[in-house]
Amino acid sequence: MRPRQKIEWGKAVIYIGPSLIVLFIIAVYPMLYAIRSGFWSWHLHRSATRAFVGFENYIKLFLDQRFLKSVGITFLLTSFSVSGTMGLGFLLALLLHKPFRGKNITLGLLTVPMIMAPVVSALMWKVFLFEPDVGLVNWFLSLVGIKGPSWVSTSPWASISVVIVNIWFMTPFVMLIMEAALSGLPKEPIEAAKLDGAGYWKRVLYIIIPMLKGKILFTLIFRITVDYRMFDIVYTMTRGGPAFDTQVLSIWVYNVALRTFQVGYANAGAVVMMIVIGIICFLILVPTTGKRSEKL
Amino acid sequence: MNKARQSTKLKMLQILRVATIIFAVFLALFPLIWVLLASFKSEGDLMRIPPVVLFRPTLKNYAVVFREGFFFYFRNSLVVTFSSVTLSIMLGVPSAFGLSRFSIQGKRGIMLFVLSVRFMPYIVFALPLFFIMVKLGLVGTRGGLLFVYIIINLPIIIWLMRAFFDGISQDIDEAAAIDGASQFRIFWQVVLPCALPGVATITILSLIFAWNEYLFALILSGRYAQTLTVGLTRFLGGMETAVRWGLLSAWSIAVIAPVVIMALLVNKHLRKGFTSEIAQ
Repeated sequence: MRPRQKIEWGKAVIYIGPSLIVLFIIAVYPMLYAIRSGFWSWHLHRSATRAFVGFENYIKLFLDQRFLKSVGITFLLTSFSVSGTMGLGFLLALLLHKPFRGKNITLGLLTVPMIMAPVVSALMWKVFLFEPDVGLVNWFLSLVGIKGPSWVSTSPWASISVVIVNIWFMTPFVMLIMEAALSGLPKEPIEAAKLDGAGYWKRVLYIIIPMLKGKILFTLIFRITVDYRMFDIVYTMTRGGPAFDTQVLSIWVYNVALRTFQVGYANAGAVVMMIVIGIICFLILVPTTGKRSEKL
Repeated sequence: MNKARQSTKLKMLQILRVATIIFAVFLALFPLIWVLLASFKSEGDLMRIPPVVLFRPTLKNYAVVFREGFFFYFRNSLVVTFSSVTLSIMLGVPSAFGLSRFSIQGKRGIMLFVLSVRFMPYIVFALPLFFIMVKLGLVGTRGGLLFVYIIINLPIIIWLMRAFFDGISQDIDEAAAIDGASQFRIFWQVVLPCALPGVATITILSLIFAWNEYLFALILSGRYAQTLTVGLTRFLGGMETAVRWGLLSAWSIAVIAPVVIMALLVNKHLRKGFTSEIAQ
């Protein structure tokens, strides 16, 4: 078996090699660079001297209130936004998966938020909808007699509006995947349960969701990793403010590196960010790897 | 009696279902429609509350946007998007073929590595890349930016195309091999033509992702390679200047119009792309 595999590598390398080289240059090397500079004190605005400081940056991180706050905010925003999109997306998929006239167009129109540039969506919401005086949202609220808050500039409304936009942006994604998954389910077990007298929600809960477990888990990982690194929407809407209340980890790294110029420190933060998401993915994947590993 | 009640109940549920779907479509689209309307409004009409539905449309906003350097950013976005997607496809499709057809050691490791690049926070790459590219003099060049853009699409291309190649029976490879075709000819003239629908889907997806990208462009585009998404924030106003509503809306619409129109035209393909990523 072994020698044959070596021969195949000889043939395969023309196909696979170039991609691996490029990925090494733009992904692996930068990552190693980040890990290395996390151990160095490196300030852009001071003289160009750099000094090796070992784990000093990391110790500093765990005492840094602002960094810890960023960790907390990232978890908070991610969990609200992920659960919101997963729940709404699944419910929408349940509504939509039976065939009806105009289904294609409906699905197509519902996809629009997802394919618009996140920066553009964020600006649209911030400037035209969440604007406190002439924005559409507060005008709607005023119709029912509520005086709307200054959405993106006061806490906790800034976080809430970021989550709203993120849910608006990503719910279609979950909906599409769940719709396709539901349409692909075998009919028999569901019909059987129906004959046994199981109500609609019982069927959803005990038959449909368990059958979709693998796909739901993978979608979950997808959503968590994408929200965990969220930058575009938050940065455009709030720049991390007010008072660092929406400064998620990506923005923390960006600000520390390119506004306060502590490059080594920022990279140490980025490395922590990387490790944390690695652990989260691992924890979610462990129960399912048994099944998935055969596929790889 | 009981049956009649049940059927009215079903009808009510049906109406409720349709109403919910219509409401969802409305929620998905109203920001876009609202800004589209705004882009045709004059300064005075923009600020009116309650909002005016009937107004005199004007093209002034678009005229100003197109005069004020829109095409500079547009050209950058176009060049960076198309060349990086072309490069990514050229790299990714053969790799996917290789990973699908050869039994090699460490295949699982390679697939996991590719997947982890897809899931990594981009800021982890973007910041070191900035300093590496400063050293190489590549910050602010389109060449540097488009090369970095490969990172957002190559992993997805490899994953999706590998699944696609796996779905094409190996029998046709073997038939071609018996006829004496070389390995490369099998890839190029036999398997690849069967995989073209997959390539089309993944190309559309990649174009959208590259066009919409912001973080890398923000950090790496310097002054001369700024893309549309970076240019957009110019109209946001700073501490002392006001938000330029009309221009902002026109610019927003101009940025997303190509993507939205294309996406609605090839909607079925696109949805298949999004769902197949999870489907495997």
